[in-house]
Amino acid sequence: MTFQIVINLIIAVMWMLLSESYTVPSFITGYLLGILLLLLLNRFIPDTFYLKRVFKICRLILLFIKELVLSNYDIVKLVYARKPEFEPGIFALPIELKSNWEITLLANLVSLTPGTLSVAVAHDNTHLYIHAMNIDDINEEIHSIKSTFEKAIMEVTR
Amino acid sequence: MYKPNDLIFRTTTSLIAFILLGFSIYLLLAGHNSPGGGFIGGLMTSAAIILMYMAYGSDILRKILPVNYRMLIPTGLLIAAGTGIGSFLFQQPFLSHTYNHFHLPVFGDLELATAMLFDFGVYFTVLGVTVTIILSIAEDR
Repeated sequence: MTFQIVINLIIAVMWMLLSESYTVPSFITGYLLGILLLLLLNRFIPDTFYLKRVFKICRLILLFIKELVLSNYDIVKLVYARKPEFEPGIFALPIELKSNWEITLLANLVSLTPGTLSVAVAHDNTHLYIHAMNIDDINEEIHSIKSTFEKAIMEVTR
Repeated sequence: MYKPNDLIFRTTTSLIAFILLGFSIYLLLAGHNSPGGGFIGGLMTSAAIILMYMAYGSDILRKILPVNYRMLIPTGLLIAAGTGIGSFLFQQPFLSHTYNHFHLPVFGDLELATAMLFDFGVYFTVLGVTVTIILSIAEDR
């Protein structure tokens, strides 16, 4: 990942040096050329092509926006219900993510979508304690978070 | 006593501290023609350092940043006074400042003023004073 970005930057700078024009357009030209070369020689490099990961990051952002709109709609429905019936509670979500950044990202995404709020991280980083505003079924809730956010984060980082 | 897991706080601090430090250096250097200057830059840097202290605790921070903050106060005062005394070398009154345009090979045309050195002195003094106050209250000595 970082190795590919470094190679791409080196190619871009080399292109600027060879064409002897130190401007932004020539840098972009060199960068695009570097992307092309990296695509061509993808088999040489042990890692996957890094723009795939950028694409995955964009997908994570879009997924987050989608979840934000949907859960906002749910909360508005709850607020304006004539006789709101909801059952708040805290449940433990087992997580498979390992690194600090992954866990931080997941906790913040869970907090930013309305209806759920990450309360704490377990001391051994295996569970995330989440307060949900309306829990019908704990397993269903766990499954929904795991299948959306955790899967998307895993795709980005691994 | 229950001690929560500070994982989220620590990981975000490791990113935010760098952003704060970069912004504080910008503020320190921007003070000539736009809002900013030594005072607000020093406060911003001390805010970043105190944020790291909050996240990681003083034992770890002493290993990461082995800076004696008490020594920063006389250093900054010496720099500020030195810029004032330096004006005597050119037969000028005390604290008279000058500026000039320098042509450097990479950066192009730069306007460097001796008032910037004075600002550096203010910066170090404010940084030292703020962090010393907070740490001595925190460590209860």
